[in-house]
Amino acid sequence: MSDDARLPLRAHMALDGELDATNTLAFEEELAKSPELAAEYARLQALRRAIREHAPREAAPERLRRRIEALAAPVPVFKRAPWMATAAGLAVATALAGFWAGRATSGGESDVAALVAGYQRAALSDQPIDVASSDRHTVKPWLAAHAPLGALVPDLGADGYPLVGGRIDILDRRPVPTLVYSRGKHLISVSELPLSQSGGGATALDGYHVERWRDSERAYVAVSDIEAPELAAFVVSFRKRASP
Amino acid sequence: MTAEAAKRRFREIVPPYLDDAYRLAKWISGDGADAEDIVQEAAMRALAALEAMTPLKPRPWWLSIVRNTALSWLQRHRPKTISLVGDDDETLDVVDLGADPEAALIARDESERVRRAIASLPSPLRETLVLREIDDLDYREIAEATQAPIGTVMSRLSRARGALVKMLSKTS
Repeated sequence: MSDDARLPLRAHMALDGELDATNTLAFEEELAKSPELAAEYARLQALRRAIREHAPREAAPERLRRRIEALAAPVPVFKRAPWMATAAGLAVATALAGFWAGRATSGGESDVAALVAGYQRAALSDQPIDVASSDRHTVKPWLAAHAPLGALVPDLGADGYPLVGGRIDILDRRPVPTLVYSRGKHLISVSELPLSQSGGGATALDGYHVERWRDSERAYVAVSDIEAPELAAFVVSFRKRASP
Repeated sequence: MTAEAAKRRFREIVPPYLDDAYRLAKWISGDGADAEDIVQEAAMRALAALEAMTPLKPRPWWLSIVRNTALSWLQRHRPKTISLVGDDDETLDVVDLGADPEAALIARDESERVRRAIASLPSPLRETLVLREIDDLDYREIAEATQAPIGTVMSRLSRARGALVKMLSKTS
């Protein structure tokens, strides 16, 4: 780009305080020499004033603020007589023990149910993805920025499963990176879970087929409305391409 | 990280920038009630994400969640109104704010003119302009929040402003 072609952009940069001292000086000299540039700069300043004046910086409604703050309200600490604290502590411990025991037996199934629900919701909404891209180098950093596990994004295009994009599913209130591939008109979701949530084998739920497997670092759940043998073939391809 | 630590982090990041988030969601969706739903959904995603990570730059990080939530929300609820890609080579339609008589009447109100002009911008230009002019992010922060290279941010900003200058001087 020639210096001339950059001038208009420099007017924006000057307006936005993005020029360093040297470039500001150069810009001011240009401004003094060129009436066209000066006029353009004045128009930009006028536009900014108009936006500041007429598109006010609206505050979030109070009810929204209350709802958001309630999401992360600290757990209140009660000051009670010592015997009450002990009793309450016991009650909480008992409740927690029950909760964890319940989870240990049903965790795998509820994971599958949640991921199938995520697939259904995505398939019904016409918008199965949060980041729409067939480029692994776009999908991978997006998922990495929004979920804890670094997502592997194998390229399965050569096997007939082009990448469509990625989305975040929520499992147990935790974000889980999910890749979305396609097979003809069908979609295949692959969610990556921590090893602690691994499971194995093929199941079906509500007419959707589910395959679970793991490698040395992660557990995977694939969900699709393609037939079970086709999904199994997809998993073979995924495992082959995902292995280092 | 414990849920309590995530909540603490959330309280440091989300409520202080709630107004920014609401404005961004409202400009992207064009509707206050939708913006509330979007921000609430974004906040839940942010809280879940904070259980596992600490963003280096909280404000653009949080606004990028709001933006992505708003875009996927729009595609779920109003798939026809939004285009995610393909903004860069198109010529901009400059909306004639005085075209129909009713609009001309409304457009006498200066604030309404400015609002309509901004609202008529294609989504990628509008969100960039709003992040700069209304939420006061710098170029780097906008690049982060919109997941676009800084050169794209600059060209969107200059195209957005060019279109607004044309629209607003045309009818005044």
